[in-house]
Amino acid sequence: MWRVAGVLIIVSAAVLLLEVSPTAVLNAAGAPPETELPDQSLAIIVNQSNPVDNVSFQDLRTIFLGERSHWPNGRRITLVMLEPGQPERKVILHTIYRMTESDFSRHFLQGLFTGEVFVSPKTLASPVGVRKFVFNVPGAIGYVRVPDVDDTVKVIRVDGHLPDDKDYALRIPARPAK
Amino acid sequence: MRMYLSRVARGGAHSSLQLIDLFLHEVGRYSSTLLLLMVFCVETGVVIFVIRDLRAADHEVQSIYAGSVLGLRGIGELQYQAQETRRSTLYALTTNDSNLQVEYADQSRAADRRVTDGISDYLAHARMPREVDVGNRLERDWSAYLKVRDEVLASILEGSIKEAVDFDLAGGVPSFDRVRQDLEDVKRLYDEQASQRLTIVDEASRRSAGRLVGVLCFTLLFASVSVWAIQRAKMLSALKLAKLQMDFVASVSHELRTPLAVICASAQNIADGVVEEKEQLAKYGSVIRNQTRQLTDLVNQILLFASTKEGRTHYVLRPLQVPPVIDAVLRNARETVEEAGFTVEQHLDPDLPEIVGDSSALVQCLQNLVGNAVKYGGSHPRITIRAFVDKAHEHHDDEVRISVEDRGIGIDSSEIPHIFDPFYRSPVVAAAQIHGTGLGLPLAKNIAEAMGGRITVVSKLGVGSVFTLHLPIGKKTRQTMTVIESDSFTRQ
Repeated sequence: MWRVAGVLIIVSAAVLLLEVSPTAVLNAAGAPPETELPDQSLAIIVNQSNPVDNVSFQDLRTIFLGERSHWPNGRRITLVMLEPGQPERKVILHTIYRMTESDFSRHFLQGLFTGEVFVSPKTLASPVGVRKFVFNVPGAIGYVRVPDVDDTVKVIRVDGHLPDDKDYALRIPARPAK
Repeated sequence: MRMYLSRVARGGAHSSLQLIDLFLHEVGRYSSTLLLLMVFCVETGVVIFVIRDLRAADHEVQSIYAGSVLGLRGIGELQYQAQETRRSTLYALTTNDSNLQVEYADQSRAADRRVTDGISDYLAHARMPREVDVGNRLERDWSAYLKVRDEVLASILEGSIKEAVDFDLAGGVPSFDRVRQDLEDVKRLYDEQASQRLTIVDEASRRSAGRLVGVLCFTLLFASVSVWAIQRAKMLSALKLAKLQMDFVASVSHELRTPLAVICASAQNIADGVVEEKEQLAKYGSVIRNQTRQLTDLVNQILLFASTKEGRTHYVLRPLQVPPVIDAVLRNARETVEEAGFTVEQHLDPDLPEIVGDSSALVQCLQNLVGNAVKYGGSHPRITIRAFVDKAHEHHDDEVRISVEDRGIGIDSSEIPHIFDPFYRSPVVAAAQIHGTGLGLPLAKNIAEAMGGRITVVSKLGVGSVFTLHLPIGKKTRQTMTVIESDSFTRQ
C-alpha cells in the first residue's frame, strides 16, 4: 500500500514539474542542466506590413492551431514552423499547442480533413529560413529566438509583453556556446 | 634683310630669278643651319598639330569605351540580372519545399537589388534629356514589376500556386515586358551615342591622316626648295668669291706693276747713263727705295693676312700699356702720314688701364686703321686718335677703346657690312683709283678678334669715319680698378 502511494507521489511531482517549467522537458530529453544555461526568449515574428502589434496568448494559440484563417487586414495567415527536433519547436509544441509531435500531426491532418483547421503550417529547416519566409510573406507568422531577430521582421507582444519582459511566456534555454 | 628690302625697293624692274638671287645672296650670309632651323620649326609646328589631333582621337576613343562600351556592358548586366530576378521567382514555383522556395526568393531579391542599383547608377550618370527620360521610365516600370513579383513570391510561399500564376500572368508578364523594352531603349541610346562618337573619331582620324600627308608633302617640298636654295646660295657665294679673287689679282697686279714699272724705268735711266749728276742719282735712289718699300709692305700685308686666315700666326698675349703701342704706330706710319701732309692729334686718357694683347699685332692693326685714314682722308688732312674707357656704360667699362677718326670721304651705309670682307673694295674707291688690296680691314679685324676684342665703325658719306678698336682690360688691371673704386667709395 505504502509502496503504491510512494510511486503515485513521485509521478505527481514529476507531472507538476513538467507543467511548471518547459526547461524541465528539455532536461528530461537530455538537454544540458538548467543551471548551466540562462533562459532566452522566443520571439513571435510577423511581416513588417502586418498591422498587428499585440496578441493575447489565447489568440496566439488559436492562430497556431490553424483555427483562424485571416489577419484583421484581410491577409491570409501562413503559419511557419521549424522542423521537428528543433528546441524552439519543442517549446512551442509544449507551451502553445500543449501537444506532442504526433498529436500535432494528427491535429492538422484531422482538422484540414474536417475543415476545422484553415491553415497548413510551412516547415523550415532553420531560424534564418523562418525569418526570410516571414519577410517574404505578408501574412506569415513564426517564431525565432531573440538573437535571431533582425529588422526585416516585426516582433509582436504576447499578452502585452515583449520578449525582454520578465513576464513573457515563451522561454527557451540559451544555445550552448560553440 | 633690311638691305635686301631696300635694294628691292630701289632696284626697279627685276626678273623673279634676280629677286630670288638677291634674296639668296642675303640669306647666304647666314649659315645653312639657320635654314634647317627654320624647317625644323615649321615641321615641329605642324607635327604638334598632328599630335594634338591624334591625342584628341585617342581621348575620344577612350571616351567611347568608357561611355558606350562600358555602358553597354552595364546594360547587358542589368538585362541579365532582371532575367535572374524573374527566373528565380519562377523557379520557386517548381517546388513545394519551403526551404528551397525561400532560397529562390532570396536569389530573386539579390538580383533585383543589383538591377535597382544599376538603374540608379545609370540615372546618376545620365546627362541628355533622352537618357533621363528612359532612365526614369525604366525605374518606374521596374518598381511596378517588383510589386507584382512580391505578390507572386508571397503566393508561392503561402502555397497558392494558382494565385501566383494568375498574378504573374496578369501583372508580372506585361510589366516585365515593359522593363525589357526599356532596357532595349537604353541599349539603343548607347548604340546611337557610340555611332555618333565613332563618326567624330573617324573625322578626327581622317583629318590627322590628311595633315600627316600634308606634313610629308610640305617636308618634301620644303626640303627640295631648301636644298636648291642652299646650293644656289653656295654657288652665288662661290661666284662672288671668284669675282673678288679676280678683282684682287687685278688689283694686286696693278699695285705690283706700278712700282715695278717705276723701279724698272729708274734703273734703266741710270743704266743708260741718262742720269749722271749726283743729285739726280740720289733722287732716283729715293724713288726706287720708296717703291721697293711699298712693294714690301704689300707683300707683307698679303702674307700676314694669309697666315692669320689659316690660323698659323701665334700671338703672345701679355699686359700692355696703351700709349707705347700708339707711339709705335705713329712711329711706323710717320713717313706715310707726313708724305700725305696729314697731322695726327692724340687724346689719351691719363689713367688708361693695361690691356692684354700682342704688341706687334696691335701695332699692325692700328697701323692699318691709320693708313686707311690717310688713304681715304680726302681734303681734310687731319687724323684724331683717342684712347679711353667708356665709364658711362656699366657693361662697357671692362674694355679700352682706341679710335682712329678721319674727316675724309666716308663710307656709304650699304658698303659698311662688306668692308671687312676679304678682297672687298668699294666701287667708289676703285673708280677713284685709290690703291688698295681689300685686305687691310679684314686683317685688322682678324687681329682684334684674336686679342679677344673687335672693331666697330661709324661713318657718314662725305663727313668721315671713326674706326674703334675695342680691347679687353687685363684681369689684374680690372681687379686693381675695382679695389681703387671701392677704396675711393670707402673714402667718400
